[in-house]
Amino acid sequence: MSNPSPHLGALLIIFAATALAGNCRAADPPHQAAAEIKRGEYLAIAADCAACHTAPRAKPFAGGLPIGTPLGTIYSTNITPSTDFGIGRYTEEEFSQALRRGIRRDGANLYPAMPYTSYAKFTEEDVRALYLYFTRAVEPVEQRPPSTSLPFPMNIRASMIAWNLLFLDSGPFVPDRNQSPEWNRGAYLVQGAAHCGTCHTPRGLLMQEEDSRALSGAQVGPWYAPNITPDPISGIGRWTKEELIAYLHTGHLSGKAQAAGSMGEAVEDSFQHLAAADLDAIATYIKTIPVVRDPADRVSRFSAGKMSSALAQLRGRDGIRSDSESDPGGAELFQGNCASCHSTEGQGSKDGYYPSLFSNSATGARNATNLIATILYGVNRTTSERQAFMPGFGGHPTDANPLSDRNIAALGNYVLTHYGSADTIITEQQVAEVRWGGPSSPLLALARGGMAAAAVIVLLGAALFIIRRRGAAAWRAKRTAPCT
Amino acid sequence: MSDSYPDDCPTAFSLTRRRDVLVGGLLFGAIAALPTLPAVAAPALWSDEAAARFMEISSLLVPHRLKAEIGSRMGAAMMALNPALLQQIDGLLSIARAKNARVVEDFFADVPDGPLKDTALAIISAWYLGVVTGAPDAEVFAYEYALMYGPTRDVMTIPSYAISGPNRWTADAPPLSNMPEF
Amino acid sequence: MANDHSADIVVVGTGVVGCLIAQQAVDAGLSVLMLEAGPRVDRWRIVENFRNLPPSLRLFHWNAPYPPKPWAPHLETRTASEQEQYLQLEGPNARAYLQGYVRYAGGATWHWAGICWRLTPEDMRLRSLYGVGRDWPFGHEIIEPYYTRAEYAIGVSGPSDPMLQWPTNGKRSKPYPMGPIPFGPGEHRFTEAAAKLGMINLPAPQARNSGVSYDGRPACCGNNNCFPVCPIAAKYDAATALPKIEAKGGKILANAVVYRIETDEKNSIQAVHFFDPDKRSHRVTGRLFVIACNGIETPKLLLLSKDERNPNGVANSSDQVGRNMMDQPKLTAELELQEPLWTGVGPVQSSSILNTTQGDFRGRHAGAMFRMENFARSPLGAAAALKKGLVGKALDAEIRRLSACTARLTVEHEILPSANNRLTLSSQKDWLGINKPNIHYDVGDYVRRSAEEYTVPRLRRLAAELGATKFQLSPEFLNSDHIMGGCIMGTEPATVVVDTDCRAHDHPNLFLPGGGAMPSATASNSTLTMTALALKAADAIVNQLKHG
Repeated sequence: MSNPSPHLGALLIIFAATALAGNCRAADPPHQAAAEIKRGEYLAIAADCAACHTAPRAKPFAGGLPIGTPLGTIYSTNITPSTDFGIGRYTEEEFSQALRRGIRRDGANLYPAMPYTSYAKFTEEDVRALYLYFTRAVEPVEQRPPSTSLPFPMNIRASMIAWNLLFLDSGPFVPDRNQSPEWNRGAYLVQGAAHCGTCHTPRGLLMQEEDSRALSGAQVGPWYAPNITPDPISGIGRWTKEELIAYLHTGHLSGKAQAAGSMGEAVEDSFQHLAAADLDAIATYIKTIPVVRDPADRVSRFSAGKMSSALAQLRGRDGIRSDSESDPGGAELFQGNCASCHSTEGQGSKDGYYPSLFSNSATGARNATNLIATILYGVNRTTSERQAFMPGFGGHPTDANPLSDRNIAALGNYVLTHYGSADTIITEQQVAEVRWGGPSSPLLALARGGMAAAAVIVLLGAALFIIRRRGAAAWRAKRTAPCT
Repeated sequence: MSDSYPDDCPTAFSLTRRRDVLVGGLLFGAIAALPTLPAVAAPALWSDEAAARFMEISSLLVPHRLKAEIGSRMGAAMMALNPALLQQIDGLLSIARAKNARVVEDFFADVPDGPLKDTALAIISAWYLGVVTGAPDAEVFAYEYALMYGPTRDVMTIPSYAISGPNRWTADAPPLSNMPEF
Repeated sequence: MANDHSADIVVVGTGVVGCLIAQQAVDAGLSVLMLEAGPRVDRWRIVENFRNLPPSLRLFHWNAPYPPKPWAPHLETRTASEQEQYLQLEGPNARAYLQGYVRYAGGATWHWAGICWRLTPEDMRLRSLYGVGRDWPFGHEIIEPYYTRAEYAIGVSGPSDPMLQWPTNGKRSKPYPMGPIPFGPGEHRFTEAAAKLGMINLPAPQARNSGVSYDGRPACCGNNNCFPVCPIAAKYDAATALPKIEAKGGKILANAVVYRIETDEKNSIQAVHFFDPDKRSHRVTGRLFVIACNGIETPKLLLLSKDERNPNGVANSSDQVGRNMMDQPKLTAELELQEPLWTGVGPVQSSSILNTTQGDFRGRHAGAMFRMENFARSPLGAAAALKKGLVGKALDAEIRRLSACTARLTVEHEILPSANNRLTLSSQKDWLGINKPNIHYDVGDYVRRSAEEYTVPRLRRLAAELGATKFQLSPEFLNSDHIMGGCIMGTEPATVVVDTDCRAHDHPNLFLPGGGAMPSATASNSTLTMTALALKAADAIVNQLKHG
């Protein structure tokens, strides 16, 4: 959503006010409106609007969160009901257009940093509930966030039209009558509000979500959103429904996985607050989606590795270590940096607070991105239950114990060999790439290079999808730096 | 000077005398009795067979899970200090066999005072402390796997390793008689 | 001589005092250069150094995982002769000044216990109230806001119940940023036993993250290794501040041994000179200089820097530089108990008795702080059980018993400032040719009377209350590693070294903040007071450079 055009006059303000009044439907009993607002608030949590529209330690939904991207900084907008700086003038229809079609009130296209392709699934009723919540229950914040100005040609917002034509589904969610209401509720939430596919579904050539491989895993900035289809090898087919619910609720599943990066934040801001029935519905649906198997996967990422250590050879060999020795081995880096919490043989703490490093999605996956990102950026996830915290080892400039790319590669390879996907090898370059914010896409370079106009438009849309994903992850990584 | 007084200093501290007293020896009486020479590299006669015999007597002397890799390194270091080690191990093994021993209590009373008993105690000490000498620059063969932390592992951590998640330790302590497995 | 570096503020020393001042200065937009004599070493290397130490050195030899560089020697204690190499100590209580600070980037906070007691209002008025020692040049109400800022700057956890806070009569403008760290079984039992004697064992405020992360550092998970090194930086140490200073543009130069402070015609400080590891000299200019090298290295450097304008050394027209050296003379008692106490669960120090530091008796003898040490005693238990020649199940049972049923009690005494407790330059030189520090130390009758009449009898009663079957007292006073005095603070330039902002009376652009400035020691750990003084100095420094 955008900053309102300065050309709008007083007339329009009155007009907007009238429209707003019209939408209030004086006939509604107050308790009904209150219930709708409450539902809107809940949907805003399910959709995790705050993740982008609330900056750390700032007022809710006032925007201004800088999302660093290789193309420039995108600032999230003020979506409080401020008439001058927020969405105070939006009618319900205009709100719906922005939410579901990516078209803001002045007709300009939103950058797809806003996941409107998923929000397109919202029903009319839910759009209305969200509208009522944002316009009536959210405190207006009279503050203009910095405006986004990307360099040419990215500043041509109209370029999104072509991409939308190709890839924006038009209709809201349609229930499947052959499935249970619970399944349909789950499908609605997964495809719509929770926008799981935005991160977990791989992208095609033009960066559209590939429906045929839905939720089978994709790169998100420095993190990798893994395969969550019910395949027993590549996906989460061996998780029980209860385990999936517990994971969404706490972000932690002993002997399997912990949520970090964007998923940690999704648990913290969104999933842990959802009703038990909705988590149940999401799990019900996820357990039934088509499986996607990566033929290269031999074992489940949750079952790799075992309890072990190199201590029998390591101890005492070097005695006192010099500060100038530049090339320490993975074993000593592991003992000195990781084992103090994850225990001598990688088994984690007895009470399970510090996870074991074997039987762990981050180490067991053939794609080592999440292991690298975890070492660099750490984990900082707070649920009602507790805070799960691991410091980063150099991903933030203020990290107390920074490690070099070379050290992290050596450390990561030791962890993979002993506790995880033993065939995977981490290179120094890979660490550098994750430190930078994730692998880059050739599409970006093509779009920048200047091509035939149509291609530019399509590719630009594609590029912006990449930035949304990388950008969100990058700022999330940054957010773990300051805490408490 | 009391050699049992555990502190960061010799108790009769003096600035000009007492050179070259091993503080470690004062603190850890058990290793003070051990040679104070640093272990040198394994001599040529240390072999897989020797390591196997060292592990055999170790498993009779010490009723706990032992790592063969550590045993091999410690045995080699001990032999560098005590060339008669293998013969003494054989002597201990024959006493144990004569008693059909499965644990140390079955045969230890039969081990005569002198070199055989000293060696038996030195082997036990090495497994518990992770070093074979009391020298301040002694090579450490085991820290995390040193058995000294075993008898209290249900209560205390091995220093520098987490005992639990944040603030999850409590003021409850188990009875003294609950010996943990290790 | 080359003029190699320059900054608005040159900070010598990268311990907690230097780092907090540097952080305030970079936040105020000033350029900062920090010079550290020692190396900058990764935490994981120190952790692994510790684990690779032989068991005899893992306890009590807190400097052992920090091998010094030849150019930045500090105390080493692996052998008695090694112990005599650097610090040259003399006098009746030489042993009690064997200070184990660390010349590494991050300083002695690498192996501090993290304990953060505040002074009481009475602690700052010894002369007025009890006729001994010196008064502070300002009252408790002046230092209180700085205490609070210090607690938030380094992240102190502590109780929210005022009955469990210290001091009991001092204002506290904000609660602790984190709640207390839980007691283990030993502290719990010790607290109960002490209470029967009217000794109140309080949960210690500690710069250790309790339950949650703070400032990017994780929560304490009971590694029981606060000294010699917190392996995860749950405890604040100044090494954790270094990247934060650099992220804001501050510069840190390790292995830069400052050996001279240079004055100009107006007797302002113009430069400092340092040796690099190749013994080459470098000159560093700045607008303002902070010497934050702790209580021994700071006076040593001032004395080394004498010139024609300052024949007794820089900042020393009063002849008080290096005098009034203080610490808390410590006695320890080793106990063997009938019943298990089980120390070693949680941080190595987490509580203390402080009501014994206060009272009208301070006119006659020192007050003192009592504590049960909470380190894991399993290594000591194992060594003692092995020495008995036990084997098999009997050996394990005896290790368990000796680990659970033994304890160490500690009492730390308040010392009075004395001009005769003095640091001078030794004729012995270090690797760079710099004079080693020589310290004459006598704990004085004030402390000896306290031990005789007050503390040792109480130690014995505490031991009896705990059911001790053996009681072994340390035969002499020991160091507590809380270096104070040496650059004492006051308003009369003739009798003191620094003013109320830790600014040298002799030099308007020279600050000597930290424990050296404290005019009274009291019986409790000094770091929070040092830190508060650092923040007070930082305000003055920023003000002086921005508006000055």
